[in-house]
Amino acid sequence: MTFWHYLGRKLFQLALTTLIIVTLIFFLFRVMPGDPVKTIIDPQMPPEARAQLRAQFGLDKPPVVQYLIFLKNAARGNWGVSFFQQEPVFRIIMRKLPNTLLLFTSAVVLAYLIGVPIGKRIAWKRGTPTEAVVTFVGIFFYTTFLPWLALIMIWLFAYKGIPLPWGGVLQLPLRGMMTPEIWSDPAASALTKGLDVAVHLLLPLFVLVLIFFARFMLLMRSSMLDTLEEDYIVTARAKGLEDRVIMNRHAARNAMLPVVTAMALSLAFSLNGGVLTEKVFSWPGLGTELIDAVMKNDYPLAQAAFIFLAVIVLVANLIADILYIFLDPRIGFES
Amino acid sequence: MAREFTRRLGRVRRELTGVWRVFRRNKLAVVGLYILLFFLALAVASPFYAAREPMYEPLTGYDPEILGSHPPSLKHPLGTDFLGRDILGQIMKGSQLAFAVGIIAALTSVVIGTLIGLISGYFGGLVDSVLMRMTDIVLTLPSIPLLIIIGAAIGKQSIWIIVVIIGALGWPSTARVVRSQTLSLKKRPFVDAARVAGSGHSRVVLHHIAPNVLPLAFLYMTFLVTWAILTEAGLSFIGLGDSSQVSWGMMLQWCFTSGHTFRAWYWILPPGLSISLLTLAFYLIGRGLDEVVNPRLQER
Repeated sequence: MTFWHYLGRKLFQLALTTLIIVTLIFFLFRVMPGDPVKTIIDPQMPPEARAQLRAQFGLDKPPVVQYLIFLKNAARGNWGVSFFQQEPVFRIIMRKLPNTLLLFTSAVVLAYLIGVPIGKRIAWKRGTPTEAVVTFVGIFFYTTFLPWLALIMIWLFAYKGIPLPWGGVLQLPLRGMMTPEIWSDPAASALTKGLDVAVHLLLPLFVLVLIFFARFMLLMRSSMLDTLEEDYIVTARAKGLEDRVIMNRHAARNAMLPVVTAMALSLAFSLNGGVLTEKVFSWPGLGTELIDAVMKNDYPLAQAAFIFLAVIVLVANLIADILYIFLDPRIGFES
Repeated sequence: MAREFTRRLGRVRRELTGVWRVFRRNKLAVVGLYILLFFLALAVASPFYAAREPMYEPLTGYDPEILGSHPPSLKHPLGTDFLGRDILGQIMKGSQLAFAVGIIAALTSVVIGTLIGLISGYFGGLVDSVLMRMTDIVLTLPSIPLLIIIGAAIGKQSIWIIVVIIGALGWPSTARVVRSQTLSLKKRPFVDAARVAGSGHSRVVLHHIAPNVLPLAFLYMTFLVTWAILTEAGLSFIGLGDSSQVSWGMMLQWCFTSGHTFRAWYWILPPGLSISLLTLAFYLIGRGLDEVVNPRLQER
């Protein structure tokens, strides 16, 4: 099997899973008691417009036909109109998607870059007090209630601010992703705007990384401990290689493989935290949109936001699968 | 009969002593156990604390002399919330609820996961493929967004319905582990012996294989408790919880929506700290038990 066959099969699986999720959501909203029409058409609409939409979504037809029409519309990017924002749902989603991707990917990548090296070192120092302390701190943050930690961080760094040794107070933005004054100012350069987003990103990113790095750290630690028992590590030691070389070149490279697989599995988990973080920081992403839509009974928007969040996880999983093949040439495309 | 009972009791006690000896060596797990006992004590003491005077009733009681959020005092060791309700009393009541939420959700997950894992591993073939594909899909679903969207579809619900749904989403990890354990168990001689002796499939699975996978399933339960408590708290915090119950997540939601987040440290710190510490405790205990079940980890 070539790489392209493998990719094709993975893409097919992804499409199938997406279809299952979409189906699940469709029927979840149809089996609920009450008139399903109210979950699709804004109850405040004038009767003529409602009748038109009713025909467009086939609401007068049997459920199976409705389902097929729903799929056809979804594939064409017609996800309905948001009740609250009076704008096509698909347009709203496309506007929010990049914001979620920015926060989510930078958090996962940073947590990986911090967690893996620490995990590597504490495995090397097993049984020492350093290992116990670092492990405890990691697990502590890993099981911390994220929205609460986020509120405390906002209190410390954004609301009160941290006094700087050279005078003044460091105060990060309280909420959102950009300062309206800067973004509406025609004279502001792209650099100023970019820096503005970066400053807003700092705090949510910090909270997410604090929560997630331990997951990578603990995975790397146990994977590393397995690897350190292998014969080739004994050989490397017998050859009189430096500790640093054995740790980095011989052990860590192999120990990293299971971590990549595990990372794929933990992406869904990180997105849970991501959604709550977005909400607390009012980050204008899919998670905030999902929660707000649910609060306002804006069903078309809520459905679409959920489906796109789920697809992000699926695509991230696919990327991890492909990465794994390039990292480990021993793995064929069969598995 | 009585002798048989004492003999069994003695065996259970010996096994537990063995478990404790290994568990005790893991200092972090012991710390976790102490934290757990602390919150258990709070939960048990809750009714006694509330029964002293009507104003200590966690949901409906309020201090008529305060009627607002007030810092700690002798009468209210952790202060009061925006309605003048006693925060310590709410924390104690919340502890009860957290144990209930965590354990009921985790039990639901473990029962479903064990059944699916047993069926999948024992029967193999097409059943196995279908069930494992299903497991993979549930595993990739982001659970909090899913619970939010389910909340949108079914409307506001009682906390116990939310808990069972949380439980119904947490089974994949258990199912995978139980499956691989079942795969190796079903090749053992005692399973063949049972089958030759005329036991049907259900008897072999329930009497011969299930008892051997249960310790592992219970190990996963501790991790699931952590996950369930955090998930319920998250839903309550964003306003999708059951506001007729005093849960720690709900306390934070009240603090947040009444605009006291940055004004009342005595109100915002205790619930978040309680959630974090109790989930930490279950996680540390889970790691400790992991060493007992997987002896390979012990030298670490």
